[in-house]
Parts: sequence; C-alpha cells; structure tokens
Amino acid sequence: MKNLTLEIIRLSLTFEGLMETNQVLHEISLNIAPKEKVALVGESGSGKSVTARLILGLLQSRAKTKIQGAIRFEGQEFGWITEKERDQLRGTRMSMIFQDPVSALNPVYNIETQFHEVLRRKYPLITRRQVRKEAIKILEDVHIVHPERVLKSFPFQLSGGMNQRVMIAMGLINKPTLLIADEPGTALDVTVQDQTLHLMQEMVAKRETSVFLISHNLGVVREFSDRLYVIYQGRIVEEGKTEDVFADPRHPYTKALLAAVPGITSGNTIADVINDTSAFRAPKEVH
Amino acid sequence: MEHVFDLLIRRIWLSLLVLVGVSVLIFLIARVIPGDPARIALGPNATDEQVFKLRGELHLDEPIWKQYGYFARDLVHGDLGTSLYTNRPVVEDIIQFLPATLELVIAAGILMVLIGLPLGIISAKYEGRFLDNLIRVIALLGVSAPSFVWAVILMLLFAFFLPLFPIAGRIDTDYDIVRTTGFLLIDTLLMGNLEAFTNALWHLFLPAFALALSGIGQAARLTRANMTETYRKPYIEMADSYGFPKWRIARKYAFKPSLIPSLTIIGLDFAAMLGNAFLVEAIFAWPGLSRYGVAVILRKDLNAIIGTVLIISAAFLIANLVVDLLIAILNPRIRHGR
Repeated sequence: MKNLTLEIIRLSLTFEGLMETNQVLHEISLNIAPKEKVALVGESGSGKSVTARLILGLLQSRAKTKIQGAIRFEGQEFGWITEKERDQLRGTRMSMIFQDPVSALNPVYNIETQFHEVLRRKYPLITRRQVRKEAIKILEDVHIVHPERVLKSFPFQLSGGMNQRVMIAMGLINKPTLLIADEPGTALDVTVQDQTLHLMQEMVAKRETSVFLISHNLGVVREFSDRLYVIYQGRIVEEGKTEDVFADPRHPYTKALLAAVPGITSGNTIADVINDTSAFRAPKEVH
Repeated sequence: MEHVFDLLIRRIWLSLLVLVGVSVLIFLIARVIPGDPARIALGPNATDEQVFKLRGELHLDEPIWKQYGYFARDLVHGDLGTSLYTNRPVVEDIIQFLPATLELVIAAGILMVLIGLPLGIISAKYEGRFLDNLIRVIALLGVSAPSFVWAVILMLLFAFFLPLFPIAGRIDTDYDIVRTTGFLLIDTLLMGNLEAFTNALWHLFLPAFALALSGIGQAARLTRANMTETYRKPYIEMADSYGFPKWRIARKYAFKPSLIPSLTIIGLDFAAMLGNAFLVEAIFAWPGLSRYGVAVILRKDLNAIIGTVLIISAAFLIANLVVDLLIAILNPRIRHGR
C-alpha cells in the first residue's frame, strides 16, 4: 500500500443550511494507485461530483461546509498542508476534465490563450512561443490534424468532439499524476463519447497518469476502468475489480444498476428494484 | 477584424439613414406646432407687412416639402439657418455651447465607467457579504434619485456647507482662456496653463458626478448581476479547478464576458445624459447646449430647435456606434461574424 496516488479515508461531507444539515458523503474510503484507472459509479445526486471537487480542494474553503476524514494525495495529507500548498496542486499535479467541453472552455478567449493560462500554472514565466510549441505537440497527440488552426480558434468555432480533444489535451499538458474525469463527453453524442474514451485511454497509458473516472454510465466504466467503486446516497456500497463486479454484483444497488442498463433484451428499469429500499442499505461488498 | 470593419461601415450607413429620418421628423414637428415663427421673431409691435416679408424670406409661405428641400440643401452645406432668438447662425451657437455639454457628459461617462464597473466587480466578488450589500444600497440610491436631486444635494453638501468645490460655472473668471476647441480642459492644456486646467477640472467634478450617479448605479448593478451569473458558468469552475488565481478569474474570466451587456447600458446612459444634462447644467450654471436647447424651445426659435435636436441625435448615434464597435471587439462571436 505504498505510494498511492490518492487515498481517501473515511471522508464525510456535510452542508449546513439554515434550518437543516445535509450530509452528502458518509465516511467514504477509496484509493487510486499510480497508473490505475478507477471509476466511481452512481446515479446523479449520489455524491460523485462532490467527491471530485473535494479531491481538487474546491470545497474546502467554502462556508457552511463540514468535512471530516482525510484526503491524501501522493502522501500529502490535505489536513496537514496549507491551503496555498493545496491550491498549488490543482492544475499542476491533478487536473479535471468536464462533462461538457463546449461550455467548460471560455467563450471569449481562443484556445491558445487558454493553453497559456493552464501552462502558466506550472511554468509561470512561459513565453508565447513555448506555449505554442507545447500546445501543438499535445494537440497532435490527441490526433488533431491542424493544431495551429485550432489554437487560433474559439471554442464555439470547433465541434464538440474537437473541444473534447482540446480539453483532454489541456488536462494532460502539465503532466499531472491524477486526471479526474467528470462524466467525460456525456454531453456529446455516443460516437464522440466513445472516441473520447479511447483517446483518454491512449493518452494516460502513454503518460502513466492515474485516472479517477466519474460516471453513471456502466458501459463507459466497464470499457475504461480497472477498478470501480459504486456509490449510493453518499455511501460506497461496493468495490472491486471491474470485471469481478460486472460478473458477480453483490450489493442490491449494484445489481439494480446493472439491470437498469438499457438493452434490447432487458426491459427492467431501476424503479422496479428501488421499492425494496431496506436491501439497499446492506453493508459494503468487496470483491 | 474585417468583420468589425464591415460592421462599422454598415452601422455608419444606418446611422446616417436614422439621422435623415430624425431631420424629417423634427422638421415636420417644428412646422406643425401652432404659432407663426415670423411673428414671434419680430415681436408684437411688427406690422403685418414686416411679418409677411419675413415669412417670404423664411419660405414659410411655400408647401412644407419644398421647405424641407431648402432646409436639407442648407444642411448639406453646414447651414442650419439663423437663430431667431440670438440673431446668429445656429451653427455658431451650437459650436459655442456644444463643447461645454460634451465636456460634462464625457466626464460623467468616464466616471460611470471608472466607478460603476469596479463597484459591480467588487459586489459580485463578495456576493452576499457586507461589502456587496453596501454597494447595492449605494447603487440603488444612485439609480432611484434623478440627477437634478443629486445635483442639488451634492452642491449643498460639498460646495455650500463644506466648500470643497466651486458652486457654479466652468472656470473662475480671472483666467483668460484662448478658445481653440471650446473644451476648457483641452484649451487650458494647449495654453500650458496647468493652474487653469486644474481649476476647470475642479469646476467639472461636481456636475459630472451628479450627472453620472444614476449611470454609476445602473452600471454597478448590471455588472454585478452579469458577473454573478457568469460565476456560475462551467468555464469558471474549470478555471477554478485548474487553480487559476482568484483575482485573475474575476478579472479575465468573469468580467470580460459580463462587460458586454454593461457596455450596452453605459452607451445608452451616455447618450441619455446629453438630454438629462439640462437640469444639471441649469443648477450649476453650466453654459452648455442643453440649456441653450431649452431656452430656444421656450422662445419657439425653430431653426435653433431643429439644429439642437439634430446635434443631440447625432451624438446619440455616435455613442451607440462606439459602443457597438467596442462590443464587436470584445465579443469574438460578433468579431468572427457568427
């Protein structure tokens, strides 16, 4: 268990409102080894995206937010390092790619300027020429044919697939050790989504980056991840190697999730099983 | 950038078209209102023959479309006729009074941008906190009271009770100003007289501020509203997730997209100030075009009315043109013709 890229130990998150408190995460624990691709699967509202934002350190300084437990990134415990040191990790050692690349890229700056901003995180004094060189190199890596033209373009001038590639390139240009992918490509059509996954797979394999994939799409998870965690109502209910979980789902929620995958033969929906809520509270299953 | 150029050309043509429309409209209105301009000009003691003679000289006895024809011909030659009230060419009157108003309005516009926008940014950055609430109250006060109320209050507070600023006028009378442009700030600089320049600037501040206050409030409120909305956009979260510095996100990522609607409002406010300037000019004894405009309206001085309205319309159109151009430069979607 040495040198884990990411280790989350009994992490709880509570949003305190005026009248009520809302616990979003219940002592979740998970870890990601170097070069490992780990998925966090669950329905919307289960606490997936919040987990990603906690790892990035985006929620820690928010008011009315109570966080318990520990997040360790490359052995650095978030509770022990200063806020500044934690912020320093963002965009340099870990980065995130978003669901909808078209709206996540800034509409009023061209791609080159946005690469410049990202690169400046790691190399504060980088020149425009170096930015161009680096950006062209990585855009070629994501199989963009005319990188110079793309650099001069604005996001709205590029297709969704192109924007997605740009986004992956941006996420990886600073050679982070952890890439967080929050429902990558869900906003795009299925073929582009598939391309995105393959591209990500190829890119992280080359760069030996760990990936934390957040998804509700089991097809995506099965194809992409080595290991997976199933999250349900802020609790991790099952974990294991991807093929094991798919072959033999043990927790009732996982079973329901798998049964709910739309297919030609299966007519089930998740609503059929959700009536039996007591079973969903069953203890965590580990393969 | 060629789209911006095309846009500019198109907008200039449109503006000219609007100006022609305005000239027809104002000409018609001026002729339709009851009362004989010739009689008014000559006064109650004039004989009917004198009035008849002047009507002939002014072409008032001809059909109205012909009258417009004469008017348009003279206009092209830069002649707006003679003011019946001052007995001078209207163009000369305008040249005399316009710079004072423009100086006031431009100063107010600058204050609006320099104060309104930063207030909006600060407000959005500290959304829901004390500073935000404070700025919102101030902005609301600015918007809700008309500029002449502010003019009186500011004058009382900062010129009368606390004599920090001069009460009225554009400059102290003991300076001899060589008039080149009519803009005192420029003329004094051209003379190299820094003391006079400071004095003129000192006189300018209170009226400009009173005129700008509602615009400042509006700009601040709008900028805040747009920025808080922009702050919820995915690209802001993306910038945050990459750890870009907070002030950089505020300035580069949240402000620039929010600037576009703010600029539109500032442009409109700027143009509206040309009209609103009248009351402020009256209160601060500012010898500007708005005051002249009201004086000639009260005296039914038709040529002067038409000239003043045309000039103000032109200034309105130019202000809009400049704003549209700025927006086109700021917004890549327009700049690239999408």
